[in-house]
Amino acid sequence: MDIEQVKERAGPREFSPKDDLPEEYRKAATRMIQFHANSEIMGAYLEKPFIRQAPSLDRKLAFSAKVQDEIGHGQLLYRAAESLGVKTRDEMLDELAEGKGKFLNCFHYPMDSWVETPMIAFFVDGAAMRRQATLKQSSWEPYAHAMDKVCFEEGFHVKHGEAILYELMTGSKKEQELTQEAFEEWWPRIIQFFGPTDDKSTHHDFSADVGLKTMTNDELRNAFLNAYVPKAEKYGLEIPDEPRIRDNGDSTYEVVEDDLDWDEFFTIAKNDYDPGKGQIDGRKQAQDAVEWVRETLDSHEQRFAGGTQPQAAD
Amino acid sequence: MASAEQLPGPNDLSDEEREAVETLLFRLADDEFVLAERYTEWQVRAPTLESDLALANIAQDELGHARLWYDLLQDFGPDEPELIWERDPGEWYHSTLTELPFEEGDWADPILRSYLYDAAEEIRLEALEDSSYARIRNRVGKVQGEEDYHLEHAQNWLERLAEEEQSRERVQTALDRLWPHAQTIFAPTDEEVEERIDDLGLRTKSLAEMREEWRETVVPYLEDLGLSVDAGGETDLPEVTGRNLSHTDDWDDLWEDFTATYRELGREEATRIMKDPDEVE
Repeated sequence: MDIEQVKERAGPREFSPKDDLPEEYRKAATRMIQFHANSEIMGAYLEKPFIRQAPSLDRKLAFSAKVQDEIGHGQLLYRAAESLGVKTRDEMLDELAEGKGKFLNCFHYPMDSWVETPMIAFFVDGAAMRRQATLKQSSWEPYAHAMDKVCFEEGFHVKHGEAILYELMTGSKKEQELTQEAFEEWWPRIIQFFGPTDDKSTHHDFSADVGLKTMTNDELRNAFLNAYVPKAEKYGLEIPDEPRIRDNGDSTYEVVEDDLDWDEFFTIAKNDYDPGKGQIDGRKQAQDAVEWVRETLDSHEQRFAGGTQPQAAD
Repeated sequence: MASAEQLPGPNDLSDEEREAVETLLFRLADDEFVLAERYTEWQVRAPTLESDLALANIAQDELGHARLWYDLLQDFGPDEPELIWERDPGEWYHSTLTELPFEEGDWADPILRSYLYDAAEEIRLEALEDSSYARIRNRVGKVQGEEDYHLEHAQNWLERLAEEEQSRERVQTALDRLWPHAQTIFAPTDEEVEERIDDLGLRTKSLAEMREEWRETVVPYLEDLGLSVDAGGETDLPEVTGRNLSHTDDWDDLWEDFTATYRELGREEATRIMKDPDEVE
């Protein structure tokens, strides 16, 4: 298939490993899915300390299960990416460790306090779920298929985040104030989750033409704002004055882009933002520390792979 | 075939009976809770995504079991904050094996720890199958159903790690460190209370009997893997056993960490989101 045929055929779940796809498609799909998989891993990395920090047994269980789900999503997504034949999972995990693998802006920021947890588990996951729901229509079938399971589980995560938010916002005055502060800090990042407005996005056109993506960043941002501004207000959060968000009155919004720090955003996009670098390096250190186990597993597999070694008869 | 007389429900126990039941439950609940707390440290740090998922599962099972046992302690009045979040670190009964920290990357430790613990857990749960206290007896099966998999998981890993010299040496190092602490699984709290637990038929095997059975299982198994076990007598109990309410300094640090949010937010309640175990039964 050449790229024109791909564009012609592009539709939900249209392409699978059976198809002979041009490199351009396979590379674009790999980039997108690898980004998504990396984000699952780095999101899990960020949230993992809160398994320990959780202030009740049930919350602890739920947090452990959530982090486990994210790792499971990473596993599924790397598999969907591997099936494009461009990179192996180990290569992608190594790229992530070396700071070459890209991932969501929000997971580059440090998270220190329990009151911040709903910023990820409710708002960021809620935003991610909107995007992921549209990806069930992606043209790469293994990716779309992975989204069925991911979206199902993300539904629980958002409920978990929402319950924590509700608990904090109906808790002590101190809890409410700390949560509002955390919200003010995270809100611009959450808005930037959807990236700059379309004219600055470089990869969209091709991804849309070949059916990898079905909605633009603007459409996704609007959908998020329509749903989540009322939710934030319902729980008693005040939407910060900046970034200014103009309601066009027709379910669309305009975000005043100058109110957002795009230098920081693009520094993050290059993996050059300091806290994010620390998180990438922290995960690398953990990955390196268990390299010896993977070596043992490899030796084990070789030994049982069919007598390629002389001592296999032992 | 319980030979001892059946004990009544939680509200009708004598003070002495109640103390025995509570002590037994604290041994079980605190072990599971603290071990799970340590296991979760491996989330997002395990050698592969698959092993990450597996150990996370085990941690969640243990938390679930802790929940079942703490729930039985709640029969006597204390709520979750009193049992966990506000309980002084010097009032916890778990074995020191469960509280030790891990060295970064030392995957041999959680695997071996899990083996030593789960082999003991199997024996200890068997001794509760015919407990004279129905509330305990009725929950044993649910816990046992999940523990089989834990032991299998640990053994599969141990056997692979023991194949290669370099990884076997790591297991040996972990064994040398963990072995004395593993003995504390069957160490007594208060001798007199432990005797009462046996006399009341709360468990059908004494600590000494279970310890012997456990050693007869784990020592040959580990030796077959090419590991050497320095199996002395009672003397290999460390000074701090956990059971006697004395703990390593690492426990205090761990306790500080996991209670930090509760304290910093000034919480007085612990949120329940899952059904009460009695509703599920």
